[in-house]
Amino acid sequence: MEKLKRSLTGFLVPVLSILLAFVIGAIIMACLGANPFAAMAALFQGAFGTVASVGTTLNRASPLIFTALCACFAYKCGVFNLGGEGQFLIGATAAFCAVHLSGAKGIGGILLALLVGIAAGGLWGMIPGILKITRGLNEMIISIMLNYVATLFMGVIYTSWIRDANTPQTPSVDDTLKLSRVIPGMRFTWALIIALGVGLLLYYFLYWTSPGFKLRAVGLNMTASRFNGFPVNRYILMSFLISGAIAGLGGASDLLGTQFRLINGYGSGYGFDGVAMALIGQLHPIATIIVAIFFAALRVGATSMQVATGVPTSVSDIIQALVIVFSVAGMALTKLPEFEAFRLRVSGKKEKEGK
Amino acid sequence: MEEMLRMEHISKRFGSFYANKDVNLTVNRGEVLTILGENGAGKSTLMNILIGLYQPTEGKIFFKGKEERIDSPSQAVKLGIGMVHQHFMLVEAMTVFENIILGDKRSKGVFIDREARRREILELSERYGLDVELDKLITEIAVGAQQRVEILKALYHGAELLILDEPSAALTDIEAEGLFAIMHKLVDEGKSIIFISHKMREVLHISDRITILRAGEVVTTVKCSETDGQKLANLMIGRELSSSQYEKKQAGGQPVLKLDGVRYHEQSKHNGLAGITMEVRPGEIVGIAGVDGNGQTQLAQVITGVIAPEKGTLSLKGKQVSVFDPSDFIENNVSHVPEDRNLQGLVGDMSISDNLVLKATGSGRFSKGRGLLLRPKAIRSHALELAGEYDIRCTSVDQDVRSLSGGNQQKVILARELESGPELLVAVHPTRGLDIGATRFVHDQMIEARDKGVGILLISADFDEILEMSDRILVIFEGQIMGEYSGQNPPIQEISLAMTGK
Repeated sequence: MEKLKRSLTGFLVPVLSILLAFVIGAIIMACLGANPFAAMAALFQGAFGTVASVGTTLNRASPLIFTALCACFAYKCGVFNLGGEGQFLIGATAAFCAVHLSGAKGIGGILLALLVGIAAGGLWGMIPGILKITRGLNEMIISIMLNYVATLFMGVIYTSWIRDANTPQTPSVDDTLKLSRVIPGMRFTWALIIALGVGLLLYYFLYWTSPGFKLRAVGLNMTASRFNGFPVNRYILMSFLISGAIAGLGGASDLLGTQFRLINGYGSGYGFDGVAMALIGQLHPIATIIVAIFFAALRVGATSMQVATGVPTSVSDIIQALVIVFSVAGMALTKLPEFEAFRLRVSGKKEKEGK
Repeated sequence: MEEMLRMEHISKRFGSFYANKDVNLTVNRGEVLTILGENGAGKSTLMNILIGLYQPTEGKIFFKGKEERIDSPSQAVKLGIGMVHQHFMLVEAMTVFENIILGDKRSKGVFIDREARRREILELSERYGLDVELDKLITEIAVGAQQRVEILKALYHGAELLILDEPSAALTDIEAEGLFAIMHKLVDEGKSIIFISHKMREVLHISDRITILRAGEVVTTVKCSETDGQKLANLMIGRELSSSQYEKKQAGGQPVLKLDGVRYHEQSKHNGLAGITMEVRPGEIVGIAGVDGNGQTQLAQVITGVIAPEKGTLSLKGKQVSVFDPSDFIENNVSHVPEDRNLQGLVGDMSISDNLVLKATGSGRFSKGRGLLLRPKAIRSHALELAGEYDIRCTSVDQDVRSLSGGNQQKVILARELESGPELLVAVHPTRGLDIGATRFVHDQMIEARDKGVGILLISADFDEILEMSDRILVIFEGQIMGEYSGQNPPIQEISLAMTGK
């Protein structure tokens, strides 16, 4: 019962935030002179209207799911990995270099790329972790800074080392390496299946195993975890490693599934989008996946909305931003003692009425 | 003699509890009045009333002959009452000079006349021998110097009555001597001082008169020249030995815990250990008596592996420990009821059932395959069982442990720690903040564990608890064991004197 109540609050906050964001979005649309209902309908039609559009939405969601799970896992251990973008790009870059330089092809090449992506992302994620536990440096700043390093490193690759003739981009990966579509007619590839698999694995690990339990305890109270004999530093390092590895795997699979080459602007914003989605998903891996798909839908649908009703795509960006603002504020609200008192009063009344 | 301060019939009530009741005291110009009392005797409340943080429920305050209402700290400063807190209130990133002029209302306009302020401060510092370097950052100067800055700051803001709350607590002996010289100089110049301390030697050395508080009330006020340490300790503790409701035992057998010359941060008297040698045998409760902040925290943390001693050895069941890590101690069946239950004992945002299995999720009972798959049903039924056995009052065991009352939170910890089958239990202030019922329950459980053969180390600043529970009593003062006493008819007067360092 108590558990149910808690997850209900956890569920209500994002849902109400989304509704509220849409109401405000509708007001903006009306101010722009468009019919908000028609615009909203176009938005959802664009994202989910046809089999093909669902496929496009899911495909757009794949990289977001990876970076969102990356942020989610680190948060669960009480550390802030804001370097999802850098880890994603390092994963993609390393995977590209590995298959390009080795010339590996086919399924072997795919496996090589994914493994190299995991390793590169994990190692990249470890850097802030190591600096935090050995030198006490702030992991947020280090991981953000490493985003720039990763982006610029990728830049060196596509502008100098492995440039495709005269254009600042790398050549495409070999056709035999490209991840195929799972269902013909829908654009999403096996990258999505990998992402969903990672999400399920994280859910199992965090909620059904003893190390996952301890990791959550470390995230909620490091001092008590230390007093109760958990190797806190080891857990922190592990969370950075795994969190980075998830993003790295995301980079590698997105490279083989959708992107195929390294190019200017690739991956920009994925890291912070991931952080926001993990927060809206209340740091629950499954909920985080749903939120990532929802955000992808808003992005895919925005174009249809613009075409159909003339409402600019930026309104969709505004709605996304509002969802983030409302749900973070909503979560802060539910932590207030006044809210708890209010909740008890309301539920107390209900119980009385029930009698 | 001119009267500086008179407090008449001051009472302060919190709910139905009187922190101060009908307190009368006077401070004359040019004297040091010491306020002596145990932890929780009401000293802090009284001082907070004096500096305007609390309003008295009843009573009057006269300052320099005039009745005053002190409704804010700034009002107290305006009257000329300055307080130097035990934990200094300085801005570390600012210089000494900036800290002293902080909050100065004399500057007109936007700019501060630095030169004039400086001259004024230097004059004061010369007059009272408060030697400080004005341009150093607070972080760059020693603790003794920081205290001089605090005193100088109070004087600069016009204090005529200075309250020094355990001023020697953080100081070395030499620094403390310096402080006493300054205090002498201050009273010679006509300032008055209220001095709060637990150290008998200092109290006798520096005071003119001593007011003794016990349970919120003034016991008496005595002239320093007409008393001695034993008399003061008796007045302060002021109790006859009431027979304990628990049977006291004498235990034999191989000690479960043995400390030999354990040292940790020895130079810090209040947060260090200066050569502790002691042992705990199975089936006995060893009580560590002492005023808060004499190394108890560090002692508990060494014995549970949270910190490693710098010197000396620690043996568990006769085997010397080389690695200090809580997990090794837990494996050796050392249980810990920590000092701060929310910070150190519980994960507040996890449920009662999760907290009850906190350390045991890897065991076969609560998971399959060495922790690869938890058994939620076993975890829940375990929680239901313990909630009944330990009388944990909750609406559901899935409730966050944060939402429980302090007493029920403590029962969760106690249940977890006693159910893990300890051979040694380290309990630090186990009943702090608990009501009578919960306290009684915790005590009963500890006695039951003792009778099952658990060796218990009870660290508590509550003297009554120590007397009630302990089979043997050790007194700790400034990181040293001052003496060992039997728990059977313990010599209260001797122990209370030992607690003050004599």
